[in-house]
Amino acid sequence: AAKMAALGGGGTRWRRAWLPALQLLRRGSKAVTRHWKAMHLQRQKLLAVTEYLPPRPAVPPRCLPRPAAAEGREEDGYARVLRRQVEETLRGSRMVAVCQFNSMADEDVAALRHFLRRHNIHVKFFLNEVVRPVLAQSKYRNLLPLFVCRNILLVSPETRAREMLRVLKGVPQVNLLGACIDDTILSRQGVENFARLPPLEVSQGQTVAALSLLSSQTSSLLQQGPAHLTALLDQHIRRLREAAGPAEPPPGQSTG
Amino acid sequence: PAGPGGVAVPRAGLKKLALPPDYSGITFPEKAKLKFMDKVPAVPKVRREPRQLRDIRGPSREATDFTQGQYGILALGGGYLHWGHFEMIRLTIGRSMDPKSMFAVWRVPAPYKSVTKKSLGHRMGGGKGPIDHYVTAVKSGRLVVEVGGRCEFEEVKPFLTRVAQKLPFPAVAVSRESLQEMRREEEEKRLNNQNPWTFERVVASNMLGMRKYLSPYDLQLKGRYWGKFFLKHRV
Repeated sequence: AAKMAALGGGGTRWRRAWLPALQLLRRGSKAVTRHWKAMHLQRQKLLAVTEYLPPRPAVPPRCLPRPAAAEGREEDGYARVLRRQVEETLRGSRMVAVCQFNSMADEDVAALRHFLRRHNIHVKFFLNEVVRPVLAQSKYRNLLPLFVCRNILLVSPETRAREMLRVLKGVPQVNLLGACIDDTILSRQGVENFARLPPLEVSQGQTVAALSLLSSQTSSLLQQGPAHLTALLDQHIRRLREAAGPAEPPPGQSTG
Repeated sequence: PAGPGGVAVPRAGLKKLALPPDYSGITFPEKAKLKFMDKVPAVPKVRREPRQLRDIRGPSREATDFTQGQYGILALGGGYLHWGHFEMIRLTIGRSMDPKSMFAVWRVPAPYKSVTKKSLGHRMGGGKGPIDHYVTAVKSGRLVVEVGGRCEFEEVKPFLTRVAQKLPFPAVAVSRESLQEMRREEEEKRLNNQNPWTFERVVASNMLGMRKYLSPYDLQLKGRYWGKFFLKHRV
């Protein structure tokens, strides 16, 4: 309508800012269509230029360490209970052995528990994530590298390594990794050597014998001189007797 | 955790016991199931009304937030819902939900807008056709139904997504938290956009005479809406 008025005015194009809402309505479909209306190229270009650009930090966040995941973890009451149980177990045992535990049938596990229980060795299953903080703060710090993947703890208030090794030899799925016996950390060979040691009474007797060896030697040392003299004189008498055997034995002046 | 040979060894950690959800502040309406919507309003329209597709265009101003329920269906585009859609929604949700522990509420009115149709096989002309059916207009960002009660989003999500896929416009099942999350992400995107040139800025200051190729409505729509479609990936 504006164009018609302008043409009717005098033939010259009446240059004025024209609103596209009026002029472009004449051609094409309406603004809101059921189908996807084709966009003008300029509009497409504008949309392409004004697209969203995500921020790109110099170091990608996946290369940075992850502190947020480790920090905001709430203290779990159940974890606290389990940790207390671990602490009590470690406190009340003289021998703590860490073994690798592969999957076994349930009845095999029960049989293993039974045989070890006979020698007063308890089989304990603890979660690694519960045991690690407990160990890090106690004196068993150096056992930390053993607690990886599936493992069990064999704890006992007495140190019976020989029976334990014998039972574990019959179970191929449980492998001894290391043990801490009487505050001494032992590797697998160490435990085997420890098992080969004689029992306590025998070694005590040996120690006593070794210590009293000197005192027992003192009396024999003191008696060594006169004993030697006695032996020499006896030998001498015997020789004289043999010499004076065919002849008359002289009146014995033996001072023996 | 990598085991020997670089293979990841699965590891079971401590079981975290979560507390059961708290449903204290939930009030049930009188009827748990969706109300039946009429095909034709109680007072049918006498005057045939013009098409006015502007009731589909742009973002919605009403029913954008949750009132009674916790989960709902959000429209991500504009469109018309007719009686068939209403029945589908009502029956599907009524079938899939448990009226004792859940309730559902309409967030759209019954069809009120008359749509005319000329009879088939006639040429153009002869006036406007008679009223064929009634529809409800839905704009993007409007909630269609709301579901709530003593239930979790995972229970409700399957049938809500099924209903959402059958609607004539793109729709998605949302919960209060997911809607908030969506809005927060949008805002974050808008704030940390590294592109110095935004549609809004170009249109508002008419850079390069772009307004010649854009509609005056683009000042408000800001390039996120095109016709009845909502362009989710924009800004």
